[in-house]
Amino acid sequence: MDISVTETPAPTTRSLTLRGRFDAHEAPAFRDALDAAMDNGHHDLAVVLTDVEFVDSTALAELVRGMKRCREAGGDLALVSPSDPVRVILELTKLDAAFTIR
Amino acid sequence: MKPPTTNSETDLLAGALVETNDQLLGLYDLVSLTIESLDEQRAVLAILDRAKSILGADALLLRADRNYSIGPPNDVAALEAVHRIPVQAGDSSATSVPVQTPDGTTVDLGALRKSSPFGTADKKLLGAVGKMLVGAIHRARMHQAGLDQAVKARDHDTASELAQRALPRWRPESGRLDLFAHSSPARAAGGDLFTFALVDDTFHFVVGDVSGKGLPAALMMTTTISASNAAFASVGESGAAAILTTIDSWVYETLADAGLFVTLLVGSYNLTSGILQTCNAGHSPVGIVRNATFQPLAAQLPPIGVLPVESVEACTHQLGPGDRFIAASDGLVEQLNMVGGMFGDERLEALLVSDAMCADGLGKAVFAAVSDFAGAEPQGDDRTLLTFFADPGESSC
Repeated sequence: MDISVTETPAPTTRSLTLRGRFDAHEAPAFRDALDAAMDNGHHDLAVVLTDVEFVDSTALAELVRGMKRCREAGGDLALVSPSDPVRVILELTKLDAAFTIR
Repeated sequence: MKPPTTNSETDLLAGALVETNDQLLGLYDLVSLTIESLDEQRAVLAILDRAKSILGADALLLRADRNYSIGPPNDVAALEAVHRIPVQAGDSSATSVPVQTPDGTTVDLGALRKSSPFGTADKKLLGAVGKMLVGAIHRARMHQAGLDQAVKARDHDTASELAQRALPRWRPESGRLDLFAHSSPARAAGGDLFTFALVDDTFHFVVGDVSGKGLPAALMMTTTISASNAAFASVGESGAAAILTTIDSWVYETLADAGLFVTLLVGSYNLTSGILQTCNAGHSPVGIVRNATFQPLAAQLPPIGVLPVESVEACTHQLGPGDRFIAASDGLVEQLNMVGGMFGDERLEALLVSDAMCADGLGKAVFAAVSDFAGAEPQGDDRTLLTFFADPGESSC
């Protein structure tokens, strides 16, 4: 999986774009990228999932962890344009009700 | 023809030859040292001890992420004091050499010899000792990392075995319930779970999947099973919603603190009335097979541990003869084969609606089909299936 972090005009916001499979093997890299953004004061994160082919439960747990961390800091973690396979998983697990999805 | 050399030049040349010879002998002595221990401290101290002898030094001090020294405490202290500042030109009784480590950092090997100053050959020898020390430390740490990994793998196996023992092995004895429940754990302990209880005339059950793998997932799996069993006992015949909210109240904080969640399907099936109540917190696939059609039961709320459950209403279903209830885990659906294909929902649903005389026959057919599909591809995740046939009547396998 590729992760790219993009700056946005708002100083507290960062965009993380993921590509490929997002599973237990890739979760640590995502956690590192998210923690680095949070530690640098970016509490509003947009995770772009357009090109993610697959997510497993470990990956979903990382997204939930990130969402909670952002909200505790007064921000939010939004899922942006999830691909069809990801959207299906979010709907099946009803996690679409927990996340902000744009 | 070379010009004749003076006595002083001859002395210098002879001195250099002796020094070179001493250096070679020292190196030979050093490399013939057999390091018999893979323990870092023992290996390092063995090398320092031999180097101290070869160099005729009073003390040696290796400054790395962990310091090692050899020699009388006063001499080591003197060496530490000297090394606090760069070694001065007049400080000829002490010397130090930088040594590059495999990870690119630099450590420092210092030596103290009060009897005579260190020469060029001594410093070269000290450099060789430094490289030998760094190699020994690297080897010992690689060995330790291998051991740690083996211990971790063993811990995962143990966790997986212990977690499996938390699953119920008994089956309710009732002519009105034909039940199959089985979980097959993957190599890296996952978090699939099921448990059930027969309270009077009601069959309470839970099927779930803790996110993640390894020890945390296995621990949360057993915690959720314990909470479910306690909830079955405490809510009596109150039904699925009460069981789910009770489980949530007991495990939410622990899950949230651990950064985990558990998908949970809670059911209460009255054997007399045939009424089934379900509460689905993010679990799939779940459904009822009726008239050879799989009717999925969608999740009503996110998995437990994501957000606190404030209120939930159970869904009610009237089961009749021939109806089958199904709760599986994603490990069945998402199993890959050798060419990267996924078993998928369609294959599973085709099996679930197929002719089967009993729940046990259906369950075994599902596990066999997924296993055949995977071939030599390793099991990617836990596989779990709980199914029961409503009002089984005389049907049997």
